[in-house]
Amino acid sequence: MGAFILRRLLFSIPTLFGVLVVAFLLLYVAPGDPVQAMVGERADEATIARLRAELHLDDPLPVQFGHYLAGIVKGDLGKSYITNRPIRNDIIERFPKTLQLAGAAMFLATVLGVTLGVVSGSRPGSVIDRFGLGIAYLGISFPVYWVGLLLILLFAMTLHWLPPSGFGGIRYLILPALALGMRSIAFLARMTRSAMLEALGADYIRTARAKGVRETVIVSRHALRNALIPIITVLGLDFGAYLTGSILTETIFSWPGLGRYVVNAIARRDLPAIQGSVLFLSAVFVLVNLITDVAYAKADPRVTYG
Amino acid sequence: MRHFAPFIFAVVVSACGGGGDGSNRRTLIDSRDNYDPRSLDPALSTDVPTGRAVGYLFDGLTRFTPDARVEPGLATRWDLSADGSVYTFHLRRGVTFTDGTPFVARQVAVSWQRVLDPKVKGGRGWPLYPIKGAREFAAGKATSIQGLATPNDSTVVVTLTEPFAIFPKLLAMPVASIAPDNVGANFGEKPVGTGPWKLVEWKHDDYLLFEPNKGYWGGAPRADSLKARIIAEPSTAVAEFESGNVDVLQIPQSDITSWQEDTERKKLLASTPSLELVYVAINTTRGPLRDVRVRQAINHSIDRRILVRNLIAGRGELAAGVIPFSLPGSDKTRIGYAFDTLRARQLLTEAGYPNGIDVDLWTSATPIFVRIAETLQGYLALSGIRAKIIQRESAAAREAARKGQADLFVKDWYADYPDAENFLYPLLHSANLGVGGNVSWFSNAQYDSLVSQSRREQNEEKRNAMYRQADELAFHEAPMVFLYFYSELNAVQPWLKGFVPPTIFNGQSWTTVTKVRGSVK
Repeated sequence: MGAFILRRLLFSIPTLFGVLVVAFLLLYVAPGDPVQAMVGERADEATIARLRAELHLDDPLPVQFGHYLAGIVKGDLGKSYITNRPIRNDIIERFPKTLQLAGAAMFLATVLGVTLGVVSGSRPGSVIDRFGLGIAYLGISFPVYWVGLLLILLFAMTLHWLPPSGFGGIRYLILPALALGMRSIAFLARMTRSAMLEALGADYIRTARAKGVRETVIVSRHALRNALIPIITVLGLDFGAYLTGSILTETIFSWPGLGRYVVNAIARRDLPAIQGSVLFLSAVFVLVNLITDVAYAKADPRVTYG
Repeated sequence: MRHFAPFIFAVVVSACGGGGDGSNRRTLIDSRDNYDPRSLDPALSTDVPTGRAVGYLFDGLTRFTPDARVEPGLATRWDLSADGSVYTFHLRRGVTFTDGTPFVARQVAVSWQRVLDPKVKGGRGWPLYPIKGAREFAAGKATSIQGLATPNDSTVVVTLTEPFAIFPKLLAMPVASIAPDNVGANFGEKPVGTGPWKLVEWKHDDYLLFEPNKGYWGGAPRADSLKARIIAEPSTAVAEFESGNVDVLQIPQSDITSWQEDTERKKLLASTPSLELVYVAINTTRGPLRDVRVRQAINHSIDRRILVRNLIAGRGELAAGVIPFSLPGSDKTRIGYAFDTLRARQLLTEAGYPNGIDVDLWTSATPIFVRIAETLQGYLALSGIRAKIIQRESAAAREAARKGQADLFVKDWYADYPDAENFLYPLLHSANLGVGGNVSWFSNAQYDSLVSQSRREQNEEKRNAMYRQADELAFHEAPMVFLYFYSELNAVQPWLKGFVPPTIFNGQSWTTVTKVRGSVK
């Protein structure tokens, strides 16, 4: 297992290098100039030329890329063109908040989604199953944006139970986590339900029933354990996605995370900020995938990595 | 699903009725910033959230009142030489920065040098360019600004390249604020100023918290603290306002009608004179648009009354020139281009385009501009002008217009300071083609000479007459579609006392704003 993890980590280096090259080139191909964004609505050509020189934007691309790469190797992501702050500090300030939101969303998804799926799957066709299916349909179909606004309307403006937006204690976390996790809750519920149905129809379950094992034990130990692989896949993929792209949720709920940071950086063509966060988020994604793969082995002893 | 719709409706209706009570909260909370300031270093203030915060922390030699008059700031008074090109500013004595450093004349020179220094990477030197030698300093051709002298600690003598009567107005802009002379590398995060407020903390993308500068020369703020929340989504800001969590709200343009028609919410509304021109730049160097008749035809094609009524609930004064009606130099009697499709077709025929023309109509993704572009497309078609809408993300759209690649470009222009010059010069003078703000690429010798002359004119009456003349000329030359002046709408909580929405964005320092404690409902 140790060798496997090490090998995967080594393989991730070319992946991240590829990300770096693509992110670097795309931004130079895309229209929009960072200096134009810096100077605001009114400027003059001389100022723009001086800033371009100051930021080394007129150097040949390979030279610029070389400088950038040299910084990365030393662990320096550079400074923002717009704010003059080190990108590293910006990421360190914001990523824990994104992690918190994604973690809470995944927690809700796991608890609510899996529970709903297990309950529905073990009683197919019942009222609770149909209710679960209904919730799942709604959760998958509604856009995050709309769900978010609706949650604010109901729980903050009408019932006054929770604050509409902002960052703070757990009270501030509930609504954005729910909005963000809604799709996962729904998806997991459906996934778990079908995996449970499949598992519950298998021969070993019939054997377990035949030897008199209690139904709760059958569901929780025998069936759920075998239904775990697809669940872990979904959890891993969604968690990776949330960590890298909860932009809409962060915007609606004024959550000061990395998603909003990236969007602002793109709007202002803040090249070092965009490149730095894309690289960082890709590394996070690679890491989450690796953890997911390791979790497979834990969940299913038949999965081995050599 | 059938049962879900009435549920949503019930929620919406009940939400509109409920307003939270924030009157017991001690902190004043603003919600108008929708993105994080760039920095708190005055030299980097090129956008509204940055400028607003810099205005709380720093002072300039002059400052704006909420109704946009210019009053003394760190300079108590100033004398002007007979030829109008040398300003002698007499500085306020006994002022200290919040770290205890005394304020002296040298810091004025150092602060302005920082603004112009390319190494600081600010990018907004133009308010200081009227000073002799400022451009040379910015270009690295001089080690100091020639026209800037500090004969003693309480005097600053500024020599301009040529007379410029409204120069003191430019000094009230955030970028011209005065910082101490030994700023650290971290100054943008840990600013030290002489302003009415001190920074307590800045949580990026979340909020900025300020406390009163007890020793403020203009009288310390009366409230305990001031918080500027960064709320990216306008609907969320509305929700926070309705919940009583913020004290001031900028009403999103899409919500204007619902606020104006609600008897309860209507009472909270406060608007400012409109110093925002919404227009469509016509690139006067491209194809048929070079012909003034074609440009006039485009202006005649649009029913602006309907556009203003339907898109912004009537909150716009129809423009007939670039000078907002609240500023001296504007001409309220000038009649704008009438909606007259026949006249438009006739003008096009006269210009040699009986079969109409094809144009590209550029817009950013800003919702109101997209709606304007779509409306325009419909109207232009009636006159035989086939407009193809090109929507790009705002940085890309602006860049295309600045490079002269856009035929028509829907945009707006906010005043940085309340003067007609701030519209006439950047938007249409040939010294500002492209990046300078003139994306109509309008170049007219007579207009240029009028505007340049007005900038030098010391007599206010004569200056205003020149403004009016230049505006009249621009109106007939039609280098843009003159749409409307938008007047911003704010909502202010009933428990807030003393808050006047400022005409210029940095014109409200909250020093006299207080809250009426206890329930006011």
